[in-house]
Order: sequence, then C-alpha cells, then structure tokens
Amino acid sequence: MSKPTINYTFKGSASLVPKALPLLNGDQYSTFIPEAFMNRTGTPLNTTSVREFNYDPNDPYWYYNYSNNTNWIDAISRTGKLQDHTVSLTGGGEKAKYFTSVGFFDQTGITLGTSIRRLNARINLDYNVSEKIKFFTSVAFTNTNQERNYVGSESSIRGMAYIKMPNMSVFEYDELGNLTTNYFSPATNVQGQYTRIYNPVAMAEKAKYTVLGNRVVPRFQVDYDIVKRVLKATFDIQFDINNTKNKSFLPQIATGRPNTETVVNRAYDGDIDAFNVSTQSTLIYTPQFKNDKHSVISFLKLITNDYKVVYQELMTSNTASSLLIDPSIPSRTQNSELRAVSGTSQTRSVGAIASFQYGYDDRYLVNATIRGDGNSKFGPNYRYGLFPSLSFRWRVSQEAFMKNFKKIDDLSFRASYGIAGEAPRYDYLFYNRYTTYDYSYLGQAGVIPSSMELKNLKWQTLHGLNVGANLSMFKGRFRIDAEVYRNRTKDLFFDGLQISSYTGYNSIFMNVGTMDNQGWEVAVWTQPYKKKNLTVSFDFNISGNENIIREISEYYPNSKGDVTKNGEYLRLLQTNNPFGSFYGFKYNGVYKDKDATIARGANGKPIIGPNGQVVYMRFSYPTIDYTFQPGDAMYEDVNHDGNINYMDVVYLGNSNPKLSGGFGPSVTWKNLKISTFFSFRWDYDVVNGTKMSTSNMYYFDNQSTAVLRRWRKEGDVTDMPRALINGGYNWLGSDRYVEDASYIRFRTITARYTFGKKTLSKLKMKTLSAYVTAENLLTFTKYLGQDPEVTFRGSDPFRVSYDYSMTPPAKTITLGIVAGF
Amino acid sequence: MKKGFLYFLIAVLVLGSASCKKCLDLKPQDGIVKEEFWKTKEQVKAAVIGIYSSMMESSSGTYGRDNYIPSMAELLFVWGEGRADNVSPATFTSSHDIELVNVNIQAANVNANWRPFYRTINFCNTVIEKAPEVLATDNTFTQAQLDNYLSEALTVRALMYFYLARTFGDVPLKLDATLSDENITPIAKSSQADVLAQIVADLKSAESKSVATYGDPASDKGRVTKYTINTILADVYLWMDKYADCIAECDKIINSQKFGLIRGATINPPVYEYNADWFSSLYYNGNSAEGIFELQYDVQKLNPYFTMFSTISNAPRWVAAPDLMDRVFTVDFTNDQNYDIRGDGASVRAASSSVWKYIGITGTTQRTVNQSFAHWFFYRYADVLLMKAEALNESGQGQPALDILYSVRTRANALAATDLMPGPTDKNLIQDFILMERAREFCFEGKRWFDVLRNTKRNNYERKSIILNMVSQSVPSNMQQSAQVKMQDKNCHYLPIYLYELQTNKLLVQNPFYK
Repeated sequence: MSKPTINYTFKGSASLVPKALPLLNGDQYSTFIPEAFMNRTGTPLNTTSVREFNYDPNDPYWYYNYSNNTNWIDAISRTGKLQDHTVSLTGGGEKAKYFTSVGFFDQTGITLGTSIRRLNARINLDYNVSEKIKFFTSVAFTNTNQERNYVGSESSIRGMAYIKMPNMSVFEYDELGNLTTNYFSPATNVQGQYTRIYNPVAMAEKAKYTVLGNRVVPRFQVDYDIVKRVLKATFDIQFDINNTKNKSFLPQIATGRPNTETVVNRAYDGDIDAFNVSTQSTLIYTPQFKNDKHSVISFLKLITNDYKVVYQELMTSNTASSLLIDPSIPSRTQNSELRAVSGTSQTRSVGAIASFQYGYDDRYLVNATIRGDGNSKFGPNYRYGLFPSLSFRWRVSQEAFMKNFKKIDDLSFRASYGIAGEAPRYDYLFYNRYTTYDYSYLGQAGVIPSSMELKNLKWQTLHGLNVGANLSMFKGRFRIDAEVYRNRTKDLFFDGLQISSYTGYNSIFMNVGTMDNQGWEVAVWTQPYKKKNLTVSFDFNISGNENIIREISEYYPNSKGDVTKNGEYLRLLQTNNPFGSFYGFKYNGVYKDKDATIARGANGKPIIGPNGQVVYMRFSYPTIDYTFQPGDAMYEDVNHDGNINYMDVVYLGNSNPKLSGGFGPSVTWKNLKISTFFSFRWDYDVVNGTKMSTSNMYYFDNQSTAVLRRWRKEGDVTDMPRALINGGYNWLGSDRYVEDASYIRFRTITARYTFGKKTLSKLKMKTLSAYVTAENLLTFTKYLGQDPEVTFRGSDPFRVSYDYSMTPPAKTITLGIVAGF
Repeated sequence: MKKGFLYFLIAVLVLGSASCKKCLDLKPQDGIVKEEFWKTKEQVKAAVIGIYSSMMESSSGTYGRDNYIPSMAELLFVWGEGRADNVSPATFTSSHDIELVNVNIQAANVNANWRPFYRTINFCNTVIEKAPEVLATDNTFTQAQLDNYLSEALTVRALMYFYLARTFGDVPLKLDATLSDENITPIAKSSQADVLAQIVADLKSAESKSVATYGDPASDKGRVTKYTINTILADVYLWMDKYADCIAECDKIINSQKFGLIRGATINPPVYEYNADWFSSLYYNGNSAEGIFELQYDVQKLNPYFTMFSTISNAPRWVAAPDLMDRVFTVDFTNDQNYDIRGDGASVRAASSSVWKYIGITGTTQRTVNQSFAHWFFYRYADVLLMKAEALNESGQGQPALDILYSVRTRANALAATDLMPGPTDKNLIQDFILMERAREFCFEGKRWFDVLRNTKRNNYERKSIILNMVSQSVPSNMQQSAQVKMQDKNCHYLPIYLYELQTNKLLVQNPFYK
C-alpha cells in the first residue's frame, strides 16, 4: 500500500459586463414616441389619455413615475463571480485502489436573481479478486441548486431592460410624489402589459424560479479473463438516477396585473424523475500469433438501455398573498392555463456490435465493424437497423523505402467510411394518439387526436467519409494533421417540419432528405525554438465547411422570408448549392423631401402617369400599394419601374464563413508557461439584428441613440428614416443591416507557474501550481455590431446568422490553484 | 469454471436478444392510442364533444407579432367585422389588424391563417371516418346514435367550410381524416362552387340523421340539432342565391314553433326593465329561446373577447366605429327614453366606444376577466327571420319581407330615423333596409362583412356600390382612394392564402388579387 495523495484545486473568476450599446434616456424617448405616433396616424398622441408623456407636475402621480431617466440595464446587472473548489484523495496498492473527491461550485450571474450552487462527491473502488477477475465500482453524487429568472432564459430579463421605457421609475412614487419602496408595476401602459412588458427589476428580484437537482450514478463492472491475453469478457451495468424539481412563483408586483388574472401570485411545482439502466456485455478476442507482425483485435458487444421518466406538475394562481408561494396552498386552479398533470415515458434500445481489426507490422491497419440496433421509438416496420463501417490506415513511414528520410518520425494516410443510425428524440411517434381537453364542453370531456401515426419514420443514417494524413517531423517538433470529410445524412430527421394546415396539424417529425456536411481541416503544431529553459511553440488550425442539401422532401418549403415584411430576408433552398445565402433590397438612405419620392425611370427623368400626372415611388403595387413619404427609407429601384417590389431584390450575402480557425503562440520559460489563443473567421456576412431592433422605431420600445439622427422634417439629409410606429416599410431586409463579420479575437491568455521540486519538498507538497486566465481581451474586426462571433448551429437550410447581442462578450478574469499533498 | 462461464455468457446473450422483441414494443402509458380508442360509444361521444371544444381553443404566440395564430373565436370576429364599418382599430391594435381594415392585407398577415378551421375540420373528418367502426365493437351502440354523432360532425365541417369559402373563395377540400403520415399529400384548391356543393350535400345528409333535441336547453343550443342544420342551409342557399330553398329551410324552423324573439322593448315608450332582461337572457346568460347555435364558453374556458374589447386595465384591439351610434342606431335627442335597445348599453358602450356585447353584464356594468364567458352566436332566430325576409324580397315578395323586417324592428324599438320606408315593390331599397337592419341586429356578431359581400355579389356584382359605400366608412380617409380602387376588383373581396400555406403545400396557388 502506498501513501494516499491529497489534491486540492481552486478556481475563482469575476465577469464584468461591458458597457452596452447606448440607449435613449427618458427625455429622448419621450420626444421620440409622440413623434413616431404622429407620423403614423397623422394625429398627435393624446397625452391627456396617454399620460405617460404628459410631464405635467400638476398630475404628480404620473409626473413623478414617468419623468425619469432610468438605466434599466444597470438596474439589473452586477459583477458575476465564480468559485470552484475540489479536494480529492487517491491511494491503494496491488489488490485495491481507491479514489474519492468532494467539490463545491458557486456562481452568481451577471443578472440579478441568477446563481448556481453545486456540491458533488465521488467514490471509486477497484478490487482484484484474482488474476482473472477484477471489479470496478463507483458512485457519483451531484446536488444542484440553481436560481433562475422566472421568465425564460436570462436574456429575456436583459432583453426587457433594453426595450423598457426609460422615463419610467423603478420604484413607484405615490400620489404626492414621494418615492415608495414598491416596485412600479402598472397593470398596463402605452407599451402594453405582461407578458409583453413588465418591470425587469421587480421580475428579477421578486419572481422566483428554483431548480433543485439530485443525481446519483452508481456503476459496477466486472472483467473476467477467460483465456489470459486471448479471450476476455466484461460486464458493465450503470444506473443513473436523476431527479429534478422546478419550483417557481410569480408575485403580483412582478406583472402588475389585477387579482382576477392568473398571472398574479402564480405558483408552480414540478418534479421530473428519470431513471436509466444501461448494460454492456463484451467478449474480446485477441489471438496471439507466432509471427508478431500480425495483430488481431475483435470483439462482440451487446448493449441495452432502458430509460424511464416520470413527471408531475402543479400550477395554481392567485394565492392569498405574495408570501404564500406553494401551489399546495388553497388557490385558483380552474383556468386552462393552470394545470395539474402527470405523465410517464419510456424508451428502450438494444444494440449488438461485432468488430474485427487486423494490423500488419504497424504498417497496415484494417477495421471492419457491423452494428445492429433496435429502438422502441420506431414502429414495427422500421424498428431495427444495420450499420456497417470500414476503415484503413497506412503508415508510410514504416515502409522500407522511407528509411532514408530520417527527419520523418511518422507519415500515415487514413481513410474510413461508416454508417451510424440515429433514433428520433421523441417516444411513441408511431401511434395515432388521442388526448383530452383540459376544459369541458357542456360539462363533458372532449377527446381529440393529438398526433398522427408516423408509419414511415425511419432511422436517420449518417454516412461518414473521411480521408486524412498526418506527418510528424524533427522528433515531434513539427506535426501536421490534414483531413477532408463528407458527412452525408440520409433520411434526415426534421423535428417540427411545418405542414400545410389543411391536414389539421401544424408540424410533423419526418425524414426529409439527404444533406451533406463537407469540408476540410488542417492543424499544425510546431516548436520553432526549444532549449533547456525556454520553449516557444506555435499551434495553428484552419478549416472550411459547408452544408448542401442533396435531396429534399416535397413537403419541405423551397423558400423562406417575405421581403415585403419588415425585417425579413429571402432565403432559397437550392439542391446541390451550399446554403447560407440571403437576398433583399439595396438601401439608399432616406427620401429627404417630397421631390425625392418622385419615381424616376432608367434615364433619371420622372415617370409620368397616363394623364400626365407626377408619379411617386410606391411599395409593392398593387397588393400593398404604399406611396413612399418624405423621411421613409429609400430602396434601390433596380428595374426603374417606380415600384419597389420583389423584382428589386438582390443577393446580399452568405452567412457561412469561408474559413475559420485559431492559432496560439505559447512560451515556456523554466516553470512559467504563458499560452495564448486567438480565433478567427473570414468572409462571412451577418445580419446585424441589434441594429435592426434598436433603430426600427416601429414599436413603443426603447431604441439606441442612433435614432437621434432620424429624419424629422423636409430637407433633413440622414441615413436614419423617420420614426413610424406600427407602419411603413422602413426596416425591410436590406444591405443596411448586412455586414462582413470577419474577425480575429484574442480569446484567452493564461500564465501558469508550476513550483519546482525544491520548493515543494520544503512545503512538503507533491505538486503546486497557480494560474491566471483572462478571456476576451481584444477583438479585431470591421464589424460595427457588438459581437461578430455569432453562433450558428443546426441544420436548418434557411438559417441566417443574426447578431442580436447588445454588449460585447464579458471579459472574465480567472485565478486558479492546483495543489497536491 | 471456464466453460461454465462461457455457457452462462452465451445464455445471457441469447436470452437478451430473444426477449427484446417484446421489450421494444412500448405503448404510451398516459393518453390513448388509435388501436385502443375507437371501441365504445362513450369514446365516440367524447370525440364529438372534442369537435366543439376545438372551436374554443386559445390563440398562440404574441399578439402583434408574426408568430401570432389567432383563435377561431377571434377569427370569427375579425373575418366578419374587421373589414366592415361597425368597428375601428384602437390605439394599440396590431399592424396585422390595421392592414386588414385598410384593405392592405398581404399573404403574411396572421388574419389570413385558416389553421384553426382546418384543425376542427380534421376532428370532424376523424369522427366521420372512424365512428362507424365502433358499431362492430360496441353492441350497445345503435345506428341512431351513430347517425346523430355523424350529423354533428358533418354539420360542423360544413359550417367551417362555409366560413372558409366565404372568406377565401376557393379552398382545399379535405374530406378524409389525417390519421397517419400517409394522409398528408398536398391537395389543390377546389372552386368555391364545388365547396358549396359539398357543404349542401353534407348538410342534407346530416339533416336526415339529426335529432331535434338532446333533452336539455344548453345542449340544444350548444350542439347541432336539426334546426341548426336548417339554419346553416338557409344561409348557404341565400349565399348561393337560391331563394326558394332558403325560404323553405327558414320555414322549417319558424314552423317548428320552438324558437322566438326574446321580448325586448314595449312600444312607445320602451320600458327599461324589459330591455335589461332582454340583454341578460339573450347575451349575458345565453341559451335563450332565441338561440340556435351558440359556442358554450364557461367559467372554465373563457373566450378571448375580454382581451380584445375591454377598455379597463387593458389595451383593446377593437373598438366601435366612432360614428356607430349616430350612423347606425341613431339617437333621439328629444326623448332619451326613446332609443334602440340594441344600441348604447347592448352592442356598444357609447361612453368608451367599447364593443360591449361580449363584455357587458348590464348596460353599464362590465364583466371581469374571469367572467368573460359570453357565448359566440353562430346563429339565432332573428337571423332566420331576416334571412327569410331577404330571400322573399329577392324573389319579388316585398310586402311579406317588410312585415318580417318590421317585427324585428319593433322588438328592438328601432328608431323612426332608421326607417327607410320603402314601398313594397322598391326591391333595392328593401334590400338596403334589410342590410342596415342586419347591421343593427347583429352588430359585432361577425355577420356584417359577409352580409355586405353577399348583397354586393348578388346577380353577378350588380350592386358594387354597396361594398364601395361601406369602404368609404371603414377605411381611414388617407387610405380611401387606394381601398376604393382595390374593392372594384371582386378578387379583392377574398383574403389571400396565408404565406405559410403556400410554402408548405406546393399545389396551392395564391388567390388572383394577391399574385
């Protein structure tokens, strides 16, 4: 038995919210809204009935509550903090080994009312019963306590803070103009009512959403050597008990609505208990050959999985007080949005794998595998699937003719082709199911079909083809790895494919076609300088990737986006063309006066109507037939017909980056290592959604200070159209919002110091190191939005990268210690 | 030991793979599947009730945004009133609703989304297709019971198609149930004439299967009876200009003696108590002797009308047209006891311009949000009378038409100022008079647009002036000119096919005006 080792690691960080895009203050907002309203209706906003903009000191309640300059973002933000501690103990000897650890994680988010606290523990125990039988056991336990904002994700409180009218007060003033401690949550005002609008500070502070989780994962494995080094059997069983409780409460003050409505003092309690058992039984056969150039590894594996989830939830509203936050307290239950439901769902799958791998002299390696799967998520017709795969590797550097190339450590080529099957996300899709309404008609329960039977649902299969090479030279100081791949998904699943509503359904889960995801990757690792005390290394990777639809179901729409609607771009689905392209109008600024709106032909001369009258520019004649007014956005009339419509739509960009990748130099000097990482993307077009939503002047929402330069009167020359609430065509999808978001970002820098043997022995420690990391320090880009790094995910061929970020990414500083005793 | 272990292993593998044939066959433990559902008569009844419940489903998405899907209850109102002259948009009405009012509707407007109607149609189709199978599995299920359930499903389906045909013109006609992904092949539009023919055939077939009563008044008004079918048929025939058939259907209802007008005003002067009683029994309580088919909202399932119309702690979507009282009901400035009982305090609350019919308890007190369960009136007896009057007038019987018309006016104490006093042979003036009376009688009941369109299109658009006059009231002055021009084109009287439908069903062609 050796002495046990104790390890301790610590990590702490602080996240600062960078300054957000500047928004209008209360005074600027209060001049902008009445102007926008007047532009729309031709009549002034009646401030005696819409008293939000009255600013009349003789009306003290409205005056004090609606004459502020509130910065809602600051009101809901704070510095985020994180700490993470782990202590572990390892030890053991010949017969037995053990490992145990305890961790504690605590994070407070940058938005009020968000935090996560996690406690986890783990025990591993391995025991050698005999030469032939070995046991491996482990138990892991995690307890999580998360405080979330009541409304959806964290971004929705933040999103609310961006649009909330800034002339409103956070706290309410009374009739005499004295500030009270109540949050100011009116039932409704000019911006609307909950759920459209609410007081974000009251929502963050007073509404609760707690997620409590307990998870236990015990695992047990036994290995049995039937014939030593030749035949071995292993049995592995793992349980996963994952119980989650969601508990929430929405008090009156967060919504401001009257007590007759169910969004007042709404209490919710839900339990989700999941239980999973998975087993793996493997028989491994590794025959030994006299000629040790041959090597064979083959195995047979049987996998089973059984997942069961039970859930129940209860939601009531109008508890007698905001302090009574549990749904078990007598409260209102009868409305259809309130509920008491429970349910259960179960999935089983089985799989068998046979694999054979043959190697010769470390030069050639061939692997053939066949896998059979069965899954309860499919109907009887397509329940089982068979998925083979084949791969090959040739290590050229081992060949005799390569002996002369001494500098080359390794050169090999590889190729593989394989098929993998995937089951849908949901259970029971192959049944025509019926459900009961949660309300009655004439006192009787009504039943309706809730889903159709999916008779034709098949396995989605991924056909991966991959060719690559790697080269290593100068004793590993220069390594390169290159690969070209094509991942073809056949019978592509589409979750929620919208289908025509004459069927009575909105959407179905369907196999829709074939899609290729193809591209290439090159990664390089180098150490240009390497001496005893100083090493400089430089790593680099670059890749290109595109998605192409090869075949698509007739139900799949072939275009998306209506260019006559504000904010939309046209996207087309073309088989055999990479996706990501989008189309729209060209933006030419703003009509400065009435004269500018006269329609002109290709020769620049005004177009004259049949009766000799002046013709003004129109939008989408004859269906919409809107005549452009001074101050409206001016779009390029490509065909010079005096009518801006679908015929004036042009190609605007493609939101698939040509290249993306990263690189990072790092330096090691004695015990200090400084490593950096940069990431970049090149040539991709992003729709600056933030610019669109903060300057469209279309809703009663707050806008960015860019709208201060809006067109206001005849003759104004500007690039910002007039304010127009709920009307006009001032923010159609155009190149005004499209920008090239190529960038290079200095993502991280880490300085790590590892203490030497001498210091350690003085401290009686085995290891000790400390590090500092800074994230997102610098970004180099021409992009004018807040964050060019727009995530794009999924396989929707119509996706366009929209950037809706209102702040640059948070700068985070992390401090960490790793110590071993 | 070695061998034993091997045998054990093989046994596990074999057993495991053999038993999983069954273990992969999992059924949902909550909810019912088709294989277990269509077995008993109780299940058939639940499915029929489900059809009615589906008409009360709520909207989804956020009002004013593109993801909004209006509920059927909202569409019934918006399609019937939005483009007509009795309502106006309010300060916070969405741009979608405003575009509809301004005759500016485009394919992406959420008010062109017919989804809720086809959803109900599918439930009807499912009952029509699957209910007959239950005769074989449930011995206590009689042919008469089956017929009754089928009559309900056929009638509701016909009613849904009638709304669609009047709103969109040509629409896809789906008559089989969507039970599996094999029933979703794209279908093209059928012509309005074909859809109407199917509606008539369905209603005729339903009539022969229907019952006259369910034994309790609420069910008689809330479910389809023989008289519901006759009323819808009368409306369909009137739309198709088949006046004799329309009169025959109306007479079936009138002669049944089961319905009547609720006593309203006494003549000269009207007595207020009767008025209150009339409002409360007809609209607040519902299911009166006048009701023929009413959608039965209750405390458990509220209607969307509070949200749409209330002006208290709420931003209403629709208010009454500003000149509604003066133009439609008129006011007797010399005698405040002499008023049309359907005006202020019934249809409208003049003080706040609220659409009052669905949110009032009395003439002055408003419902709270959790009392918002006023029924939606598909049909009531006054409709039968005025449909008959219209058909009589069109078939040249002016005097009997006027007699019926005046009986409806008398009940409501319609003011003399609204009496057009036509001679019995002045067909056009009687037509106008009936149309105006319908505007008063069914104010905000989702009838106005269809009434105007029916009268406009009669005899191959003989009187286009009817719709043009209405547009001059309903569209704001700055949009007048373009709206008038558009309304000259009869294709503009129908809504566009919703963009979503065009994208998901490649056989659909956009309606002619919107191409």
